Amino acid sequence: MKALGRWLAEHGITIGSPLALLVVWEWASATGLLRAVFFPRPSTIGAHLRDLALDGTLWAHTATTLTRIGWSFTLAAVLGVVIGLAMGLWRRLREGLDPVFAVIYPIPSVLFLPLVNFLVPAGEIALVVTTAVTSFFLIAFTTTHGVRQIDRLVVEAALHYGARGWRLFAAVLLPGALPFIFTGLRLGLGFCLIVVVAVEIVSASQGLGALLWLSWQVLKVEDMYATFFVIALLGALLSYGLAALRARLVPWVPDVGAR
Amino acid sequence: MPTRDPKVLVNEVSVTFESHGRSVMALDRISLQAQAGEFLCIVGPSGSGKSTLLRVLAGLLRQSAGEVHIQADHPGTPLTAMVFQEHALLPWRTVRDNITFGLENRGVGRAEREARAREMLVMVGLARFAQHYPHQLSGGMKQRVGIARALASDPEVLLMDEPLAALDAQTRTIMQEELLRIWAGLGKTVVYVTHSLEEALLLGDRVALLTARPGRVREIYPVDLGRPRGLEVRGSPAYGALLEKIWSRLREEVVRAIEDDRGPDPEKLGA
Repeated sequence: MKALGRWLAEHGITIGSPLALLVVWEWASATGLLRAVFFPRPSTIGAHLRDLALDGTLWAHTATTLTRIGWSFTLAAVLGVVIGLAMGLWRRLREGLDPVFAVIYPIPSVLFLPLVNFLVPAGEIALVVTTAVTSFFLIAFTTTHGVRQIDRLVVEAALHYGARGWRLFAAVLLPGALPFIFTGLRLGLGFCLIVVVAVEIVSASQGLGALLWLSWQVLKVEDMYATFFVIALLGALLSYGLAALRARLVPWVPDVGAR
Repeated sequence: MPTRDPKVLVNEVSVTFESHGRSVMALDRISLQAQAGEFLCIVGPSGSGKSTLLRVLAGLLRQSAGEVHIQADHPGTPLTAMVFQEHALLPWRTVRDNITFGLENRGVGRAEREARAREMLVMVGLARFAQHYPHQLSGGMKQRVGIARALASDPEVLLMDEPLAALDAQTRTIMQEELLRIWAGLGKTVVYVTHSLEEALLLGDRVALLTARPGRVREIYPVDLGRPRGLEVRGSPAYGALLEKIWSRLREEVVRAIEDDRGPDPEKLGA
């Protein structure tokens, strides 16, 4: 009981502020201060969320979206880390690719969809590749920076103690860059979620983005909010999951901003 | 001087750096020797190339001219192992794995590595901290790990680049005593760079004084203060006299180094 009290004192604000928002929202919709057509009461949204979950609609869409995120994140992570490491290690490559990346990176990912459709078969593959683009750049950037910021003195000491070639890479450069790689992965995963929803809105009939858009078009506003909620929850879970993985794999970095 | 070959031979070594299109001479035809088992201290003002000389000995830097030779008596062990000023431990390795890093790179088997690590941990008094990461240790403890890492590979010559400079005064004093104890037990040849003359007199068999840039050997002083030596040596008249003698020379070099840093005197230029 005492422990619970302490925990509440510690995390009270974190839990309390969204709860307070919901309570105000509930009250405002109930009294007509907010138009219930556009801002239905959270309790109503909750009921719709339950119905969507019970009839299986929500799971099917969530599974579709998660599968797409899984593929595009894997694609972005593998390519981003490999190319980022290479750019960190070889100056010529970095100087060659930097300007190209700088031009492509700020373009909103969804705009790549038509382009990607020319290159690969339209449909799932195009959707996954489009989703991976921005995430790839983020991961490549942070990985490159991760290699570049390794303390020169540490590398010099490693060389002095005989680390060469593969050993130098695996025991020094890769772990040295790893905290930054994880930051990139976390940002990249978040962007995968953002982009996949956007791409699903414009070009898919399955997935949370599609469900969201469909609900809006037929004015099932409660379903739209329910989907919103699921997407937000998914984002938080993915982010925390990766943070937990980081804490396990990068134990030497003092726990700063792990949450 | 004994007639046998010196353990460390530095002969007419010069180092020139290129920086921003200008070449700066860090070391100018420097010659030094250290006998096997000797504790040689190198002092000099900032910029006198003390660290540069050590980096040449460590093989981290190639001299522009001259030759360096280290007598190898035990085949299979590295010629040198360096203790770095800012410890330069690998942050992602535990204390134990930092100590065995050099052995791993040389392909020494696991059992031998672990035995060696245990021995080193006991020697530097960190047996309880084998599984800690460097960020969990104090400055003095990190430097103990740095020393253990260097000694674990059983080098022909131990190189130390101002290893205690980053520590607070009290920790430094403790570490000096520790160093004396460890060195007395091993009898290693040590080349020790420091900017502290007191430290050099406490630890060294001889003190080589370098000039302001470009570094040359100004003079070499034998430290005849007996062994084993402890902190109480600082109260002896012989210590005071030697300190005074070397300091008067070192002072000249320090003043010169400061004036060089300031650049030419504008009034003299105007005249």
